[in-house]
Amino acid sequence: MSLPSEAEDMDKIRVAVIDDEELARRILRELLAAHSDVEIVAECANGFEAVKASAELTPDLLILDIQMPKLDGFDVLELVGGKTPVIFVTAYDSYAIRAFKIHAVDYLLKPFSAERLAEALGRARERIRSREGPPVRDLLSTARTDRKPIQRVLIRDRADVHVIPVETIDYVESQDDYVAVKSGGHSYLKEQTMADLEALLDPRAFVRIHRRYVLNLARLARIELAVTDSRIAILTDGTELPISRTGYARLRELL
Amino acid sequence: MHPILGERRRLVIYLLAFLLVGLLLVVGLRGGSTWLASIVFFLPLSVAYGFISLSAWYVCRAFPVHANARPGNIVAVHVVAAAVASLMLVAIGFAWATAVDSLADLEAGRLFTEQRALLFIIGALLFWLAAVFHYLLIAFEASREAETRALELSLLAREAELKALRAQIDPHFIFNSLHSISALTSIDPAAARQMCLLLADFLRETLRLGSNSRISLADEFALAERFLAIEQVRLGSRLQVTRDTDPLATECLVPPLLLQPLVENAVVHGVAQLVDGGTIRMAASRDGSTVTITLENPCDPDRSRSRGVGLGLDLLRKQLTTQFGVYDAVHANEASGQFRVEVRLPAVTA
Repeated sequence: MSLPSEAEDMDKIRVAVIDDEELARRILRELLAAHSDVEIVAECANGFEAVKASAELTPDLLILDIQMPKLDGFDVLELVGGKTPVIFVTAYDSYAIRAFKIHAVDYLLKPFSAERLAEALGRARERIRSREGPPVRDLLSTARTDRKPIQRVLIRDRADVHVIPVETIDYVESQDDYVAVKSGGHSYLKEQTMADLEALLDPRAFVRIHRRYVLNLARLARIELAVTDSRIAILTDGTELPISRTGYARLRELL
Repeated sequence: MHPILGERRRLVIYLLAFLLVGLLLVVGLRGGSTWLASIVFFLPLSVAYGFISLSAWYVCRAFPVHANARPGNIVAVHVVAAAVASLMLVAIGFAWATAVDSLADLEAGRLFTEQRALLFIIGALLFWLAAVFHYLLIAFEASREAETRALELSLLAREAELKALRAQIDPHFIFNSLHSISALTSIDPAAARQMCLLLADFLRETLRLGSNSRISLADEFALAERFLAIEQVRLGSRLQVTRDTDPLATECLVPPLLLQPLVENAVVHGVAQLVDGGTIRMAASRDGSTVTITLENPCDPDRSRSRGVGLGLDLLRKQLTTQFGVYDAVHANEASGQFRVEVRLPAVTA
């Protein structure tokens, strides 16, 4: 009897299977069992579990359903940072373009054959070996096929996920490479540039009033003149934010 | 297009028949002439007459045999046509005999003079035979055309049925169901078979009921339950269903597949969007002249709205208005994580 050597063990592809349907997870488990170099490290029934498992277990590959409650496959990918190669599994062919824009390893249509899965795994092995491909995070924002503004902001806090509907955001503050999303007295830190987030928000509801601040117009109570040529926005909860000159011009256009 | 001239195979068989007739003439009308003279005279003449007799088709087409046709007219026309054709035969015969005699003295002219009366009668009879043959061909073509048209029509009807089905059922539902079956085949073969039967039953019932103009609400609920049973295999315990229907309501007649977009919405945009799932409540009640159908399902208030919510409802509203003349029948509202849709229809029983 020989134990698998450490080197062999290292070569194993550690996979997280994410699908909200039990049967869909079971067929993946069954088909993956035929591949000795693949090890399932996590089975997740929803996006929250997937984000948690990704943070704690850092799998080499995600096999990810798209249509899931609360967080869909693309949301999960955005939240895990998009460095992990992903094989999408879905009954819908309409997401294929978006999936390939973010350099998904493969796109399996349900129902799929064992051969088709093996082919996808082959591609995944290559991707993992070469460690190629740009980080998906940079591609995610451009991959939205619909140019509609986002309706919620997803923020990962270690293994937890916050889903913040955009209408509950008071304002967003830029902090170097991060943005702090202020909502109902809470502050959520997200690794994203202000310009990226601003581009995703509805320009009729959110306005950049200052180099460091994007304001939800619905929260604006009044504008006060502080010193000469300098104005301050007073929010409905009393918070005061500085308004720059160009910010004031943008505000006047909208009001 | 001429039914014989248009098809090379038919033309060959037809001319072979006239060649056979020619051989009979060679033997029967030789009289005192030499075999050579008889063969040289009758065989080409017979084939030439075959071509002339093709004109019978134009007569047949102009005077078709059908229930309202006047037999007197048809007979008269064919007597005249046969006489003209046969006179042509005799004239060609005369010309041919003269030509043959001028090239090689076979005494074809004598053969012609001896047999011209008989040739005229045989020519007329052959023309009528050709006419009968053409009538048969026309009838054959007509029946084949009718058959083709019937087949085309049934194909069109099937296509329309399938189109209707496609409009009613989300194809992803079928893909997802097939994926569930694919998973079950190794885990639980009996359940896989059961799922196949459920799916087949549902699709067949949808086609059958969809082709009616009105069906009973009881049938509608039975179909909706079949759909939900299939979705329960996929979603497991996340999907629960309750039904509370008044027998007085379910005996009423409604447009077919009325509930389908509603239950589909309830699953796809409701329960399936919840991590822990929920219960779909179906109910039907009757208040005098009105039947009220309600469907309730829990939903995620923060769900992404860009997933085609309400499209099914709009389609249903339009369908009820344009096809069934029922206005303002569909009411939907959403409050504290519960989506509720109500359809009110005039109570009609069979």
